[in-house]
Amino acid sequence: MKQTLYALSALLLAAVLIVGCAPAQPAAAPAAPTQAPAATQASAPAPTAAPASKSNVTLTYMASQGWIKDAELELAKKFEAETGIHVDYQIIPAAQYFNVLKTKLNAGEATDIFGGQSGKTDLKVQYDVEKNAVDLSGEEWVKRMDPFALDQVSLDGKVYGAEIWDIIGSNYFVVIYNKPIFQKLGLSVPKSYADFKTACEKIKATGITPMFEPISDGWHHVLWFPMIGPRFEELHPGLAEQLNANKVKFADNETMRLALEQLLELYKLGCFGENALSDAYADTNKMLATGEVAMALVPLAQLPSLKKDYPEVKAEDFGFFPIPLVDNNLAPVHPAGPSKFIYAKSKHIAEARQYLAFLMRPDNLQYLLDNTPEFSTLNFSGLKDKWTPEQREFLTTYPAKSIVYQDAVNYVNPQWMDIGKDLVAMFTGTLTPEGVLKNIDQRRADMAKAAKDPAWP
Amino acid sequence: MKSRAYPFYFAGGALGLYLLFYVLPSVMGFYYAFTDWNSYSSEVNFVGLANLKLIFASGQGYLLFIKNTVVFTVATILTKTVIALGLAVLLTSGLKRLAHFHRVIMYLPAVLPMLVVSLIFKSILNPATGLLNTFLREVGLGFLAQKWLVDVHWAMPSVIGVDTWRGAGYIMVILIAGIQAIPKDYYEAAAIDGASGWNAFRHVTLPLLMPVLAVTTVLNLLYGLKVFDIVFVLTNGGPGRATDTVYTVIFDEFSKGRYGVATALSSILFLVMIGLGYFVIRFMHREETR
Repeated sequence: MKQTLYALSALLLAAVLIVGCAPAQPAAAPAAPTQAPAATQASAPAPTAAPASKSNVTLTYMASQGWIKDAELELAKKFEAETGIHVDYQIIPAAQYFNVLKTKLNAGEATDIFGGQSGKTDLKVQYDVEKNAVDLSGEEWVKRMDPFALDQVSLDGKVYGAEIWDIIGSNYFVVIYNKPIFQKLGLSVPKSYADFKTACEKIKATGITPMFEPISDGWHHVLWFPMIGPRFEELHPGLAEQLNANKVKFADNETMRLALEQLLELYKLGCFGENALSDAYADTNKMLATGEVAMALVPLAQLPSLKKDYPEVKAEDFGFFPIPLVDNNLAPVHPAGPSKFIYAKSKHIAEARQYLAFLMRPDNLQYLLDNTPEFSTLNFSGLKDKWTPEQREFLTTYPAKSIVYQDAVNYVNPQWMDIGKDLVAMFTGTLTPEGVLKNIDQRRADMAKAAKDPAWP
Repeated sequence: MKSRAYPFYFAGGALGLYLLFYVLPSVMGFYYAFTDWNSYSSEVNFVGLANLKLIFASGQGYLLFIKNTVVFTVATILTKTVIALGLAVLLTSGLKRLAHFHRVIMYLPAVLPMLVVSLIFKSILNPATGLLNTFLREVGLGFLAQKWLVDVHWAMPSVIGVDTWRGAGYIMVILIAGIQAIPKDYYEAAAIDGASGWNAFRHVTLPLLMPVLAVTTVLNLLYGLKVFDIVFVLTNGGPGRATDTVYTVIFDEFSKGRYGVATALSSILFLVMIGLGYFVIRFMHREETR
């Protein structure tokens, strides 16, 4: 009797377990991708929408935080009023974005439109656009897009992405300098590395930190290296191409080694201050406004943000020049930026195209530019920009010849944070400049092999 | 079988779930450790020992991360145990007044989320604006001020220090329970024999506390080998790679999409933990039966 009772209770327990688990499955499916509810919503409207009138369609759009400006959300409302197509924006925290996106692409359930950084490596390796994105080459707006930017959203001659970004103001990282401090010390704008080093030493002697370099964020100090890609290209024409064809390596290039040696020298000289390793990028405006530092590496569009935080600051007190390593005097042309891709498996490709075409209308682009304080221009012709005299002076003084190396050279951008760690190791004496370059080569080879790049057999 | 209180099939449900959710994924993990599984390609190819070769013989720094993990583990076992033991003895026999209150205070860090502790200490240890260096400078001990988390030589000791601060109270509570379980007769006998306080500790408390110390050592050992959050928030493995541990590197490899290498690393750690756990449990068992 007892045995039967035990057996019965065991059966009951097993049944409860099975029943308990069973209904969890349908519930678990939408619960799994908690970071982005896109999957469920992407598939949800499908059965009702497609055949009926377009007014019922909801486009889902996933992007990383900071990529979608308020003005674009306003434009989406206007689009809905005009067409009845609702755009459901799904914003993911930046740190998780690429993991979420890659997971969704691999699982075959991305949103109708997905955001991504442009750049050939990213297009090919991160998003596999040939498989995952719709060819947009035939769209009208393609003709109006900046050719540098267009190249970054294209692969093998086909356009896959719609990039709308201030690729100059937000992308050009340049040295901002405090003109009164320079004048007081009799310093002129550095034209070479030697000039810059002298300026640093003179400024440091007065007790002011010459250059604010927030290394603790992990990404900022990396800018010093790939951002002078145009200079590498000037001294070694065709270098980026050779690197992409795996014919030369970073470690083979003496100019690159020299650039890192100079960066290390600046660090050792105390040009970046005593606490560079624990300084944070968020303090940049404060340091500039208070005059605690004489220079910082910032986007060209930093002034409006500086003025906003510290209204007493005078814009004319600040000027700009390019990163001076290896005597660089070229503008850091960096046309890659947040772009929009239409998912190849989307059920609303036509509507998504319609939405992109709407955003790209000149009047809407101008609205976006006028209503986004951090934008000074956009990567489309025929728009009225918002440059200040100081920014315009930089743009006219330093020529734009070729693009920076995180855009020009494959497999550099995805290892940005690793380069950051290596540079810190270099600053703290555990890695040589040559070691940093060798590590970059090693990681490029690892990525290229994983991506089955034919140049890396 | 007959002598057991419950028949074997009672364990069936639990065993099934255990096999399905613990054993099976682990075994699958071992398989993936021998593949080139990554986020760049949908193919998963068998690559033999390539991942293990990368970890142990490529000179790409993986051995440093393993060394850092071992250093962290051994150091935190020692510091937490010594401090917790001292506090436990103090709060059971030395300090009678408000002993419970002190125990609660000492235990408090253990209930704070690791993320919160790490963020607070990140601010305290900031070399320019942090509380610690400001305090040292104010009291005239400025020469002791260090770049705690960003100096290659100080980063690991700082992380160990913060982890000890957080973890010692927890170990202390376990040791207090152990000390309180030691019968008073032993101490009375020792006192009659004229044993000093130190002798009573050395020859009564310590030997009788060994099984409890073994438990705390296992806890500290497994925790130390798996350490991730505190390192991730305090230094993110830096400066450079100076404080990277196995789990921060696994996280790094996963975010880079190199799932095969990441799985190989975690499989190695899994085996090491099983091996060490087995030996420590056998050791405990011997102590108990003695």
